[in-house]
Amino acid sequence: MTKRIFRSICLAALGVAAAAVVLFLLVLYDYFGGVQQQQLQMQTELAAQAVTNEGITYFDGLNSEQYRITWVAADGKVIYDNRSDSAAMENHLEREEIRAALLTGEGKSSRYSDTLMERALYAAKRLPDGSVIRLSVSQHTLLTLFLGMLQPICFIIIIAGVLSLVLASRLAKKIVEPLNALDLEQPLSNEGYDELSPLLHRIDSQQRQIKRQSEELAQKQKEFETVTENMTEGIILLNTKGEVIGINRAALRLFGADTAALGQHMLAINRSPQITELLAAAAAGRHAEKMLDIAGGRYQLILSPVNSGNVPSGAVLLVIDATEKEKAEQMRREFTANVSHELKTPLHTIAGSAELLANNMVKEADKMAFYQRIQAETQRMIRLVEDIIRLSHLDEGADDIKREPVDLLALAAETVKTLQPAAAKAQVSLTLAGEAAVIEGIPPLLQSIVYNLCDNAIKYNRAGGSVAVSVTRANGTVRLSVADTGIGIPAEYQERIFERFYRVDQSRSKELGGTGLGLAIVKHAARLHGAEIELKSAANAGATVTVIFPV
Amino acid sequence: MRSKFDEQLALLHKELMTMGALCESAIALAAAAMEGGDTTKTQKVFDYSAQIAHKERDIEGMCMRLLLQQQPVAKDLRVISSALKMVTDMQRIGNNSGDIAEIVNMGHIKAAHDKLHIQDMAQATIKMVTESIDAFVKNDAALAKAVIAYDDVVDDHFDRIKTALIDLLRAHDADGEYVLDLLMIAKYLERMGDHAVNIAEWVIFSITGRK
Repeated sequence: MTKRIFRSICLAALGVAAAAVVLFLLVLYDYFGGVQQQQLQMQTELAAQAVTNEGITYFDGLNSEQYRITWVAADGKVIYDNRSDSAAMENHLEREEIRAALLTGEGKSSRYSDTLMERALYAAKRLPDGSVIRLSVSQHTLLTLFLGMLQPICFIIIIAGVLSLVLASRLAKKIVEPLNALDLEQPLSNEGYDELSPLLHRIDSQQRQIKRQSEELAQKQKEFETVTENMTEGIILLNTKGEVIGINRAALRLFGADTAALGQHMLAINRSPQITELLAAAAAGRHAEKMLDIAGGRYQLILSPVNSGNVPSGAVLLVIDATEKEKAEQMRREFTANVSHELKTPLHTIAGSAELLANNMVKEADKMAFYQRIQAETQRMIRLVEDIIRLSHLDEGADDIKREPVDLLALAAETVKTLQPAAAKAQVSLTLAGEAAVIEGIPPLLQSIVYNLCDNAIKYNRAGGSVAVSVTRANGTVRLSVADTGIGIPAEYQERIFERFYRVDQSRSKELGGTGLGLAIVKHAARLHGAEIELKSAANAGATVTVIFPV
Repeated sequence: MRSKFDEQLALLHKELMTMGALCESAIALAAAAMEGGDTTKTQKVFDYSAQIAHKERDIEGMCMRLLLQQQPVAKDLRVISSALKMVTDMQRIGNNSGDIAEIVNMGHIKAAHDKLHIQDMAQATIKMVTESIDAFVKNDAALAKAVIAYDDVVDDHFDRIKTALIDLLRAHDADGEYVLDLLMIAKYLERMGDHAVNIAEWVIFSITGRK
């Protein structure tokens, strides 16, 4: 810009200077022409006077370098000429100035010489005798004048040039200076050109808009980060190339990556075939789901492609911990399978026995045994169904069941009493000791806890063994403890015995008529009371189960 | 110009990771097939092996183009030349996995009686391959060195299996095909360990410039 302004000023100044010189020359030329003409006329007057007075003799003493003097007779014949031989000269009657002089007494004209380098000015005057005296002077043409003045003109032009260069550069700098000094951070604080103020206002408003938008953007980004960072699910944002452009803390933890993962390709974080397939789905713009095992956990990967308009712009990968879900799912499947199996076994026996009886294939003496077997099996089924119903009640949650103060010792005493015959039959001594302890609870559930624990203790005991039930209070808790001297539970099975239908020894348990649900019911009932279960046991060394109720 | 080059380098890196992942899948599946004599699994191993061979050609072409068109220097040159060498080792790992699958297909392996701990050896090899590719992905020279050191474990496994097989033959306790097949598998596993070492060495070279 500075350059352009500089050039414009410079050219303008030079142009003006040149034009001024030319105009000046023209005016000067015109002026000098006028002066010369006047002088010529005056000289002609004088010469005419002299010739009239002195006649031809005037010319003898005449020594005129400057003027050419011609005396022409009235018929046009040249009488005298001080520059050339008058006799050889042609008739001058046709000359413009002569003719004018003959007509009006005076005449003038101007003619260019053949070379154009000179111009001749003529002035003529008629003498009283009718002849004409003519004076002529040569005048320089404009071109000669110009050529003659070339040196000073050049000098002037050069000076003008230098001056305009200096001035133009200064001016250009001065004009541009406020523009360079503009403070674009605070556009409105600038003083200088009014012409710039619309622009500055526009810049100001746009700056404010940009600031507001970037603040909004940062705010949104922050919100997004806060949300994703606190999610337990992992979120990974991928671009179209499969590079990670966003990853939250949960995902970083899951994949064991650090923040350097940002900007890397997804495969650098995890290269399992599932991820490769998901990336292929992302590239194709498809939704896809996969299961992936990471560090012992099972995770569900959900990939959703992101399209802006119709153009795929990346994908979102959601990582959900499905370990618990998977486990629950598996337990449910196992439970259903177990229930069906457990129900089928007695039904087979019943159906078989009934068929034999119906077909009259049983001896009269054996019939009673068959009836008893059918009865026993139906009893078992009823127990089983009852247990299942109770368990599903417990599963539903028993929050709506009324809780009331229960004396655990009294409740245990009652249960122990009902189990005494079974204990006697198994040749096991069943004893109860302890102190009265009242807790808030659900009596039927508490009873099933005591019942199931004692029942197991008797069943899995040996002849001559003992079962000791005790209720004690300690440190704000009530401990219900059932200790037996039975076959015990090997350490490796202790984790699992509270699972539904889990039995350490399948065949023996069946023989004893258990449903496989007793301890599961105990576990659930205890949980509803907020109680903890403690199990101390070893193979062949008896078992002690303690349920610790908070008071 | 440079940004195009960077993009191509990133693509090369991604392709190498994909190929490494394929190798891991192939060897893991070969080991699993060994366990059960499962022919659907061996078929999958052959698929992987073919894919790996294909990837090798792709990546080689890519490296050549980069070398010719971009004329890289210093670290870029090291990365590309080591990629060129690494794919060869990866391709061999894929090949060896296929070889193991072929032996499994012959049906002489009774893996249920794996008293020879061939699975242990397979797991050790898988660990080496996985970690060598991890080292490449994470540009981790320390991990690469650990992989190189771990080769001794795999070699020990091989020696133990070899002596155990010799004992079996001496005792006339096993049929010859079984013994030979197991020896071959062990040898292939041992070779794969060596290839993993090579990969680790190239990783170190691409990072430090020294071999």
